Amino acid sequence: MSDGGDFFDLLKSEGYQFPANVIAGVEGDGKGLPFHPTEGTTILALRYQDGVVVAGDRRATAGNAVLYDRADKVIPIDRHSVMAISGSPAMAFEIARILEHSFQYHRRRQLQEMSIEAKLRRLSLLIRDNLPMAVQGIGAVIPIFATYDTRGDVGRIYFYDALGAQFEVTDFATTGSGAAAIRGVMYYTNRWSGTPYPELSRDDAVGLSLRLLFTAAEYDSATGRYERSTDIPPTVKTITSEGQDDIGEDELRDLHTRFLD
Amino acid sequence: MLLDEPYRFAEAIANRRDYIEDQLRDGSPVVGVAFADGLLMVTLKGGSQKLFEAYDRIGLGSVGHPTDIEKLRQSAVDLAHVIGFNYSDADVTLQQIVHFGLGPAVKSAFDDVIRSPYIARVLLAELGQDDGGSSFFTVDYDGTFHRYESAAAIGGVAEADGLMREHILAADPSSHALSDALSVALDAWGLGRWAGEQDSLPPDEEELKAAASEADASAVVREALRTLEVEAVVLDPAGSGKTKFRHVEPEEIESIVSSIRE
Repeated sequence: MSDGGDFFDLLKSEGYQFPANVIAGVEGDGKGLPFHPTEGTTILALRYQDGVVVAGDRRATAGNAVLYDRADKVIPIDRHSVMAISGSPAMAFEIARILEHSFQYHRRRQLQEMSIEAKLRRLSLLIRDNLPMAVQGIGAVIPIFATYDTRGDVGRIYFYDALGAQFEVTDFATTGSGAAAIRGVMYYTNRWSGTPYPELSRDDAVGLSLRLLFTAAEYDSATGRYERSTDIPPTVKTITSEGQDDIGEDELRDLHTRFLD
Repeated sequence: MLLDEPYRFAEAIANRRDYIEDQLRDGSPVVGVAFADGLLMVTLKGGSQKLFEAYDRIGLGSVGHPTDIEKLRQSAVDLAHVIGFNYSDADVTLQQIVHFGLGPAVKSAFDDVIRSPYIARVLLAELGQDDGGSSFFTVDYDGTFHRYESAAAIGGVAEADGLMREHILAADPSSHALSDALSVALDAWGLGRWAGEQDSLPPDEEELKAAASEADASAVVREALRTLEVEAVVLDPAGSGKTKFRHVEPEEIESIVSSIRE
């Protein structure tokens, strides 16, 4: 058993390992693979009055195929943290599971909550450990990590590159295939709409997130769009000092009517 | 070597028992009670925490040497999290932790007469995943373990365990609210502490019960409260999120404690 109190070290001592070896014959963008790797698409996070809203569409694709239209890409990690994922869901869910267990394990074993700095570092190390998969273009995980800093009493948003470098953003972040279509929109609306994101009410922040995902779906075929006929709303969570909260499907439908129709 | 000489081995083990029991005698008992809103674990502590969260639905308390308790607590937490990760949260059960983790670990340390044993007795509580199915396990310093329903307790001496459990079962706290269950548990604690304080206890069960019925458990608790404080945790099925373990708030404890002090 590990004595360092680190969950990933404990897992490794029990024989667990990431798929660390480069697969022969597979090139940088997944060429040479006998299948199209599955990918999650658009996620975003923005600060509002009470904390952070994190949202993601529900689509997972494999090449040109829509693989799944009910994917949840906003994953709860602990009471005050969520990880939103774009890229390879297989590795992203694995990383999210390791992270969730790491934070709980640390709290229970060390009898204290892990600091935000340490949480960010754990995620960074996991993304770095996943580098061989990312290099081959089949397992890159590019998450947004959002959390509520109870000491500073403020919501915080971080995004990562494929090497594990972590960047804190002040007001918003978006990644995934649809991000290109909405990143400029987010900058513009945050700066010149008259209400900077950190001043938005909860409903306005959630409504704006729905509009942004709808816009991403308009210009990116890999991003799923909310349709009345299929009725699969996006995933939206808020994180405040009280912890994280799912916005229920009924409320999302109402907000969709209010903000998009 | 010792193992080549059965008599010396038996003697060494007997010495070990005497030594460990002597160390444990003054320990503060840990009491587990199933009540209307989940499972309650109660003890009195000097300073540092005595009741711990092992996993989402599993609590752990112990009597013994703090470092030995830490080692056992950490191995329970390690095992639970490895199972929880490799399988699922639903696969983490107290039975696995005790049968495959704590029990064998404590037993092998106890039998290995050139190693130091764990000077600890452990009580674990598990909130069932459906209605019912909640249970308690005790693990003794020699690796002996028992499963209980409704109530379980460990004290500084083995005789205390049965006395405390019977006291709780007689009060039938299964439909009690938290404050009443806490009160029953504290009374049981007093009885367990009383047993540990006696120079000798009657070997006969009936005589032991008769002696215990004369004991003033409340007075023992009242005396202990001069230097110790109550620690209580609840495994609450109505708790939000996956983690059902929470410490009982000091205000909730204070109302019970103040009535005992009076």
